[in-house]
Amino acid sequence: MNALSPTPTKKYDLSFARWVYRNVDGGDRLALCMQCGTCSGSCPIGAQMDFGPRKLFMMIRAGMKEEVLSSNSMAACVSCYNCVVRCPRKVPVKYILQSLFTVAVREGYAQSVDSDNARFARAFWWSAAKFGRTDERLVTARFYFSYGLSAGFKKSMANLAIAKGMVKAKRMHLGLPHTCKNAGELRKILAKAAEIEARHAT
Amino acid sequence: MTKTLSYYPGCSSQATGVHLDTSLKAVMSKVGITFREIDDWNCCGASVGHICSGHVPTLALSGRNLAAARAAGPEDVVTPCAACYLNTHHTNEEIRDKPEVKAEVNEALAEAGKSYDGSLHVRHICEVLVNDVRMDTLKSAVTNPLTGLKVAGWVGCQTVRPFAATERGGKWETYDDPSFLDDFTKACGAEAVPFKGKTKCCGGSVAVISPDKTLHLMKDILDEVKASGADVVSTPCPLCQTNLEMYQPAINQQFGTDFNIPVVFYSQLLAVAMGMDAKADAGLHQHLIPPDAVLSRAK
Repeated sequence: MNALSPTPTKKYDLSFARWVYRNVDGGDRLALCMQCGTCSGSCPIGAQMDFGPRKLFMMIRAGMKEEVLSSNSMAACVSCYNCVVRCPRKVPVKYILQSLFTVAVREGYAQSVDSDNARFARAFWWSAAKFGRTDERLVTARFYFSYGLSAGFKKSMANLAIAKGMVKAKRMHLGLPHTCKNAGELRKILAKAAEIEARHAT
Repeated sequence: MTKTLSYYPGCSSQATGVHLDTSLKAVMSKVGITFREIDDWNCCGASVGHICSGHVPTLALSGRNLAAARAAGPEDVVTPCAACYLNTHHTNEEIRDKPEVKAEVNEALAEAGKSYDGSLHVRHICEVLVNDVRMDTLKSAVTNPLTGLKVAGWVGCQTVRPFAATERGGKWETYDDPSFLDDFTKACGAEAVPFKGKTKCCGGSVAVISPDKTLHLMKDILDEVKASGADVVSTPCPLCQTNLEMYQPAINQQFGTDFNIPVVFYSQLLAVAMGMDAKADAGLHQHLIPPDAVLSRAK
């Protein structure tokens, strides 16, 4: 990935970095990153990322918006928070990645929008917002079938043994979804919250 | 000691982690803690809620729960789930420390005539057991010591990593080498074996979503369990318990291993050690891999 590395001869465009400093949750601390690499070295899934957090942060400072937002790094995060607790400059690394993930999804970058993680997130949010609770059965089914009918069927079959075991252990129920009594109230709150979120995005 | 806490069980308490909820409530009844469940609580968004919804809607989810908890009283909010703890704690700090976030979350809550001022404390139930209940109370409630049981204490990542200090400055734990889980094991009269995978991550929600990307993480943990000679793994996290248990057949298939290691919650061990019923109180019948070494020691 050396071809994408910032070079001293390239003119840096700080507008993306400044946007991240101002608009991303925890982004104000990004300026303090000293490129020590503790985050990337602590990441259990770093080997699967196009760029580890250290490199990604340098690329943000170098104005490489396209390369940052089209990478798979944000979608690969497993949310272990190793990077957050170990950063000597208290940069909330995972929180910054998660906000960049949201931006990449919103702006339609394929590695984010079509990622397993975003597909699952859409199914998950649907359940949380509709019922006020996560229904693991419906979330999983919606997630599997987001890949199409035959892929969804194949994925469902592959996990049938686990599902049967969970039902038998009474850790997956067979009735209607669990819901909040007042899911309608929650939906009103979330609709307003989405409106506020949209104000930030513009 | 008697104490009432505002209880946020989280969605897993009604599904994959129902045996955590059952055993925890049983143990609490023995150590003077009363749970007052948050009225009509909702999902916290877990590790993925923010991805397609964004920052403010995710804060609004936990904001509604915190508003309901505050309306019921000033007691600390407590949760047994790692992700619930992270999200609820983070939302609480954001509302408490950032006036602009407080204004926005309250603007959303106002749609339902609710508000929240950030005045509660959000805690993990393990931290309450360590600092409020204390180990000597747990020990003195043990009537059926689990003598000879070898336990690998797997804390996982999210439970301790972000919050190595409590808000009130009490002793919690370091994120790299926490000892509380082994202390619970010892309180049960069991043996806490040295275990190198203590705070390793199983992949969390990504393990559920894309197991192909995370089976190697769980295999590493199971290798360490095997090397430790433990009969059983103990964990505080509902997702850790489910992932490490349900993926053992897939791991065996991919790596040619023969893992069949039971994974239980610390609260199930405590319930059995406190002489309670293996099924009704400890939920030990709700495993995909039966924890025989624990069941055989139950009264």
